[in-house]
Amino acid sequence: MYRDEIPPGTLHLLILRTLARRGELHGYEIARTIQQNSEDVLQVEEGSLYPALQRMLVKGWVNAHWGATPENRRARYYRLTAAGRKQLEIELSQFRRVVGAITRVIQTA
Amino acid sequence: MKWLPQLARRLWMLFRRRQFDHDMDEEMRVHLELREKEYAQNGFSPEEAHMAARKNFGNALAIREVSHDSWGWAWLEHLGQDLRFAFRMFAKNPGFTAVAILTLALGIGANTAIFSVVYGVLLRPLPYKDASRLVVLNETTPKVGTVSVSYPNFLDWRAQSHDFSQMAAIQDVGFNLAGVTQPENISGEAVSPNFLSMMGVRPFLGRDFDASEEKPGTPPVVLLSYELWQSHMGGDRNAIGRTITLDGRSFTIVGVLPPNFRSLDKTDVMLPIGVWETDNSGEANDRGDRGDMVVIGRLAPGITFAQARTEMEGIAARLAKEYPASNDQFGVALQSIRDAFVSDARPAILVLFGAVMFVLLIACANVANLFLVRGAARTKEIALRIAFGASRNRIIRQMLTESFALAFLGGILGLALAIAGIRGIARLIPMDALSGATVNLNGAVLFFAGSIVVLAAFIFGLAPAMHSTRPDVQSELKEGGRTASASAAQNKLRGALAIAEISLALILLVGAGLMMKSLYKLMSVNPGFRPDRVLTMKMDLRTQQYSKDPVILNFWQQVLDRVSALPGVESAATGTSVPLTGSHDRGDITVEGMALPRPGNFPHPDFHDVSPGFISTLGIPLLRGRTFTDTDKQGAPLVGMVNTRLAAQYWPNDDPIGKRFMSGHPDPTGKRPPNWITVVGVVGDTKLYGLANPSRLEVYVSSLQSPDNVMNLVVKSRIDPAALTLAIRGAVASIDKDQPIFAISTMNQLVSDSVSTRRITLVLLGLFSALALVLAAIGIYGVISYSVAQRTHEIGIRMVLGAQPVDVLRMVLKQGVKIAFAGVAIGVMVSLGLTQLMSSLLFSVSTADPLTFGGVAILLVLVALLACYIPARRALRVDPMVSLRYE
Repeated sequence: MYRDEIPPGTLHLLILRTLARRGELHGYEIARTIQQNSEDVLQVEEGSLYPALQRMLVKGWVNAHWGATPENRRARYYRLTAAGRKQLEIELSQFRRVVGAITRVIQTA
Repeated sequence: MKWLPQLARRLWMLFRRRQFDHDMDEEMRVHLELREKEYAQNGFSPEEAHMAARKNFGNALAIREVSHDSWGWAWLEHLGQDLRFAFRMFAKNPGFTAVAILTLALGIGANTAIFSVVYGVLLRPLPYKDASRLVVLNETTPKVGTVSVSYPNFLDWRAQSHDFSQMAAIQDVGFNLAGVTQPENISGEAVSPNFLSMMGVRPFLGRDFDASEEKPGTPPVVLLSYELWQSHMGGDRNAIGRTITLDGRSFTIVGVLPPNFRSLDKTDVMLPIGVWETDNSGEANDRGDRGDMVVIGRLAPGITFAQARTEMEGIAARLAKEYPASNDQFGVALQSIRDAFVSDARPAILVLFGAVMFVLLIACANVANLFLVRGAARTKEIALRIAFGASRNRIIRQMLTESFALAFLGGILGLALAIAGIRGIARLIPMDALSGATVNLNGAVLFFAGSIVVLAAFIFGLAPAMHSTRPDVQSELKEGGRTASASAAQNKLRGALAIAEISLALILLVGAGLMMKSLYKLMSVNPGFRPDRVLTMKMDLRTQQYSKDPVILNFWQQVLDRVSALPGVESAATGTSVPLTGSHDRGDITVEGMALPRPGNFPHPDFHDVSPGFISTLGIPLLRGRTFTDTDKQGAPLVGMVNTRLAAQYWPNDDPIGKRFMSGHPDPTGKRPPNWITVVGVVGDTKLYGLANPSRLEVYVSSLQSPDNVMNLVVKSRIDPAALTLAIRGAVASIDKDQPIFAISTMNQLVSDSVSTRRITLVLLGLFSALALVLAAIGIYGVISYSVAQRTHEIGIRMVLGAQPVDVLRMVLKQGVKIAFAGVAIGVMVSLGLTQLMSSLLFSVSTADPLTFGGVAILLVLVALLACYIPARRALRVDPMVSLRYE
């Protein structure tokens, strides 16, 4: 099955959005959620999720704590912070602006 | 304020980096496990699931690293690694490390110590408000140069000048203070009442002078120095309002000056000048009377130094026209207050500062050489690291970290040396001569030390680092580190460093040599008197008690009688000025029969008011006629003696004996008959103003005819003169127990003190050039011995092919001689230029003195040969068989 790479720069947006909708998730769950919600079209390069999460931790958009999975496996769970919600708004509107512009160009050309 | 919590998060991560990596690993393992399980559920075989999960995930190690680095601490971690590596390298090569650190410590220590002097004397901010706007003013004459200001002229300057917002006069005065234990002489300054406020200084206690206190008739008031207040009043705050007796007069204490306060000189008491100058009578001094006064002015806002000078010159010219009798040809000299403080010591200090910079450069060259040798040994290691993917920048950074660590250690040790050195230098330098400069370790000095550590690290670290990581280093790996081209380039660089060291050492040695020769020449100058076994001291009789001539004459006669009677005393005499003391009395004279010059052009000799035995006690030769006798007293015809210079100038063709001169100018009205003084003797010239300065015109008059309150007692002894001090004090106290004695010194001490700046400069310069010589010798030794070690193989082959030991010796020495000659040649050329800068420190020695240059050049070549001799002998001992097997 062929999957599309996610457009550059949108990984943060996808992670923020996923966490906003689903609350607390660990890394694997974030990757799977993005994949499933995109109906398997978007393929997160799974490893790249982790540096992105670290950068978001530095920025203070998410925080993390260790918890247990339903199968009782230790895992690190991420949750959105207030700053993260604000950032999500910013990135969303930015994304909409870009997509809207691209769409208009495609439709009128 | 977003950055603050972010910084906190980053720091939190920094302190638990290990845990962080651990967590990352754990997190990624969970991910892989879960993914693997999912694939297995989807029907993959366990192996396929395992492989696919890992393939999808990517390189876990790299991901961990990128995650780690996103916290922004990579630079610090690299630094830590580099430092650990550096210290491991130091520990592995203790000899290298010790030599390098010691060399750097010497260079940095010497620089820091000398910089503390540079800062303390030349750079330290002066403790006055806006000191750069303060200007020191003096009068000038074409004949004498800078002279003191007359008080009436100061009053006119102050009234007429607009370019100065304020002006104040300062007059040095001495006082006798009936002290607690023994009478003492203290220094004082009479100042305009606005002086302290103009300088931006507030009294520590009490009040400043009031403008009205300049006017005559006001009750006498005084400010005490903090130090006098401490030593004589025990720091009692109730001292304000009390009185103090100075020269038998009572002064009310109105305030205390701040601790360590100095104007141009050290001062114990300060009083308003108006009262002093007019003797509290309102009658201003004679305009032609120039005592010991300087003027300080503060430039008005927006006025430049040059504008103020133009204005002042105009005022002086107007005054010269208005008062030709006193002011004809008198001009005005302006000087920044900073220059007034340090002009004498500046050249010596700058020369020394340059010298230590050279020492540091030599030290750096030496350490760079050490690094190059080690860099050569590490070529393989570095090539390997580059091969394994380390970037060139990363390796250069790592090597620079090593040099910084080394420089830092050298700096710490250097600072310890500097602290010891600063103590030594502070003891060596007469601080009073430097206007109370404080030489110590302070923030500025520490900052300087830090800067030279960084500078040194770059100087000695960068070149070797660039060199051992140059792109063609890969060939070293392939060819086993034996490529001819690479080591040739290395040797060239190392040779160049050794040449530079030799040249720098030569420059320093030439400087020291010239100073030494100057001092030798200076000490062989005939001072015009015999300083051996002569003691001098000063007394200033209180004006209240000693106001009549007979009383004064009687006191001095008793002193001479009693002191002459002391055991061990050969002769004793009194005189108003003693050579090399800086206390002189000059005045115009009129020679009988001379064409009257303009008022500013009269002969202006030094006056000596002396007792009969003065010139024989000081050992000044009598060349013609007679000296004074006890019969040359008041009532008898006035007699005088002149020095050879004056006789030659005014009576070149006649016998000076019997000729006449008078003190001052003839009365233009002709009403007052001239007071002719008849010349009875001609004596030799003396070096009143220092051995390096030409002698001046001098006249001697008999103190029995013109008694003076201030006299120097000179005593020629048969024993060590200093041992007489106590007995003389006793003799004086038996006449007047309240009479202070001060400025006690042997004449030999005065001669020695008069060349102290030169001597200190020589001592330090000698020390630094010896250091430079040793370092340069080590440098050339290092280069030659390394090259011998490199060429062991070649030497072995040569010997097998029949070379004689003398050939091998010649081969090795030739390399050393080449370096030495090149270094000497460059050094000589640079020195010829640089020694010009120290010409003001030299005395009757040319800055290109061939003897000094030649001697130093030979010395350096010899030292270089000696340094080559040890490795050369090692080369001779090469066993051909061993050396051939060596590969």
